[in-house]
Amino acid sequence: MMRNLFGSDQKKQESFFGKALNVLEPMYRFFSVDFPIMKLIVETKMTMDSRQENPIANTWNNKKRDEDKNPFFQSLWVYALISMLLLFLFSIDNILFQYTAFFSYVFIMLFSTLIANFSSILLNTKDQVLIGTKPVSSRTLSAAKATHVFIYLISFTVAIAGPMIAASFFFHGFMIGLMAIILTIVAAVWCLLLTIITYATVLKRFNGERLKNIIAYSQIGISVFTIVGYQIMNQVIQVVDPSTLAIELNLQWWHAIVFPLWFVAPFGILQQGWSVTYGVYVALLVIGTISIVLLYRLNNDKIELNLQKMESGEADEDKRSWYETATGNLVCWNAQEKGYYHFVWQLTKHEREFKTRLYPSLASILVFPFVFMISSLRLAEAGLESSGLLIYMPYFTMMIIPMLSTTLRYSKNYKGRWVFGISSNADAHFFFQGVIKAMTMKLIFPLYMLLSIIVLVIAGWELAVPLLNGFFLIIILFCIEVRRTLKTYPFSKQYDASEANQGCMATMIFFAIIMIAAIIMYLVQTFIPFGSIVALVILVTAAGWFLTKGFKSVILTQQY
Amino acid sequence: MEPILELREVRKSFGGNTVLKGVNFSVHPGEIIGYIGPNGAGKSTTVKIILGMLQQDAGEILLFGKPITSSDDTYKAKIGYVPENAELYETLSAEEYLLFVGRLYGLEEEVVRQKSLEMMRILGIESAFKNRLSSFSKGMRQKVLIISSLLHNPDILFWDEPLNGLDANSVQIIKEILIALKEDGKTIFYSSHIMDTVEKLSDRIMILNEGTVVADGPFEALQQEADGTLEQLFNQLTGFNEHAELAQSFMSALKGGTTAYDA
Repeated sequence: MMRNLFGSDQKKQESFFGKALNVLEPMYRFFSVDFPIMKLIVETKMTMDSRQENPIANTWNNKKRDEDKNPFFQSLWVYALISMLLLFLFSIDNILFQYTAFFSYVFIMLFSTLIANFSSILLNTKDQVLIGTKPVSSRTLSAAKATHVFIYLISFTVAIAGPMIAASFFFHGFMIGLMAIILTIVAAVWCLLLTIITYATVLKRFNGERLKNIIAYSQIGISVFTIVGYQIMNQVIQVVDPSTLAIELNLQWWHAIVFPLWFVAPFGILQQGWSVTYGVYVALLVIGTISIVLLYRLNNDKIELNLQKMESGEADEDKRSWYETATGNLVCWNAQEKGYYHFVWQLTKHEREFKTRLYPSLASILVFPFVFMISSLRLAEAGLESSGLLIYMPYFTMMIIPMLSTTLRYSKNYKGRWVFGISSNADAHFFFQGVIKAMTMKLIFPLYMLLSIIVLVIAGWELAVPLLNGFFLIIILFCIEVRRTLKTYPFSKQYDASEANQGCMATMIFFAIIMIAAIIMYLVQTFIPFGSIVALVILVTAAGWFLTKGFKSVILTQQY
Repeated sequence: MEPILELREVRKSFGGNTVLKGVNFSVHPGEIIGYIGPNGAGKSTTVKIILGMLQQDAGEILLFGKPITSSDDTYKAKIGYVPENAELYETLSAEEYLLFVGRLYGLEEEVVRQKSLEMMRILGIESAFKNRLSSFSKGMRQKVLIISSLLHNPDILFWDEPLNGLDANSVQIIKEILIALKEDGKTIFYSSHIMDTVEKLSDRIMILNEGTVVADGPFEALQQEADGTLEQLFNQLTGFNEHAELAQSFMSALKGGTTAYDA
């Protein structure tokens, strides 16, 4: 039976989140929020999330297999499992290092998850039409959206931080464990409020189309900040004895720019006692938190007041770039395929959700190799052998494949899927070829080229063939992943908060495949005579087969 | 009589595109206003500004005699709104959606349930009361939106294309309901592209073209400016008289074009 949102059943069975919200009622009142209405909106939204749009459920019969089961919460254990890797930090006997690494991990995961997956809730214009036109204040609606996101965010935080916090109680005692809990919650609040403040500020000043680009730039900004932060952390962390990985922390006041360090200072005070540097950091943490809360209070209605700009903004002129035209002519070998190529290119150009889901992955792909490179150089400095795998840096581009393949299912304009329904299934392979080629040339190729040029400049032209091999390998893996994940026509599903972590999960699973592929390529190209040439012939043949015949047998179901 | 709604020199631009170029009009209680204009003329933008979804760049809006401000939303309790696109929360059932809306207006759940069920019965969709909105046709969704706009007995209705997707019988019922609502003292401000309906139903017709009101008055008064139907008057005032030529050009383009299969 479908659980009814209203009525006596609902009153008897208040959810855990509902009860938790009741405790926080005074805080909402401080923010001038109409609490009962806010709670009603949040509970309705959570119920809707647990009932995804599904072709089976989309009938007169309301019975549905997974009624009231939100896939987001069901898959959190995977994150908890992966986060257990952080427990190795306890093997390094330095509490500051442990929690610096921990909070850096928490911030990177939360920011990338929030921007990539929950922007669609914060920037939802439908709520404004259906709720904003009722006697509900902008503050209340905005708080409801923030709370809706926060429920996911805090659950995600529990999954990624839970193992480390539990271990904190075990290794460091009650006070440190409690401190870890409090500061992790503060970190989650920071991420949410900073994102809202940024969106509110951007929406106030810019129009819809620009906003989409600015959100993308902000993600690039976060990535750059991560690189800078990582560099600074390299100065903070001094390897004293490489053989035992003994380290010392060299905290200076100017390291304060890396704000995860602010969260670490209280641990330092608890364990090592008071110092001026710790004092400055704790002061910054307190001032920062108060400032963020006050800024949120000032801005929390601004998103709602300016949200319609997203719909009504003046659109940029739709023009194909020379790059799109040239690559389309180069890689598409028939008119239908070329038609789909440009269709997919333009569709993804205007989808904010597509950008917000993918750009953090793209940005982290750019960051990851640099972090890897810096680590290798530092290990070399410390007397350890620099890894030969450094030349495989561009292979990290593969990381985009799972998120990209998953994202291709969705579209804001999913209702336009009827177009596929009237096209012949015999043409499905042209469509797939168009999708693969468009996404490869639009997202994968530029990134791969950039990283390859860096490697060629550092290591020389003799690596050109292995790099070419990497590119063909990526195309093959992309084709395989698309065949595996896309069972319905691309762009046919609505973006759904409860499915927000599907791409992240796929990325983590795919990471193992990437490592295996990279190691095989390394072995073949390093130890087999003319291995790279042999690999090139095999990979070009396989990629050619996938791009011409690989999708001929595909039959897609249409989702209405 | 004091106007219930008054717009004074309301302007709105999006980037370099000026949508409203100084809109002025007033609406009196109990009037049915047909607000019409070509696509992109600014009709929906006007309604969105009145409902607080957008903020005007300049000008003033008085509703119930008071200027509307973003800090005071209480006026929305006296407004009923049907949006242009039949957007709903599709994973909710009709019952749940209507109860949700009722709760937003602070209404008793049981009252809303009975009222909604009765209205759905009258509009012929009672059997779908507990079904998900995702399974509803466009016309059925439109009916749910119309019901949700009336649950709280508002003083003024803003209906943007209320007849979208409705079959001929339903259109007839909604027209009768509009007349009954007027007789009950409600003010109705609606937009529609069905000229015949606007002509017969409206006490006053306002034609918006390129961001300004180019005609405002009862149909009979507007007829003094140009003989014929409202459609002819509309064409004349919006400067659109080349239907036949455009159709010819369209056919030429159709015959001259190529498809992917031709290529």
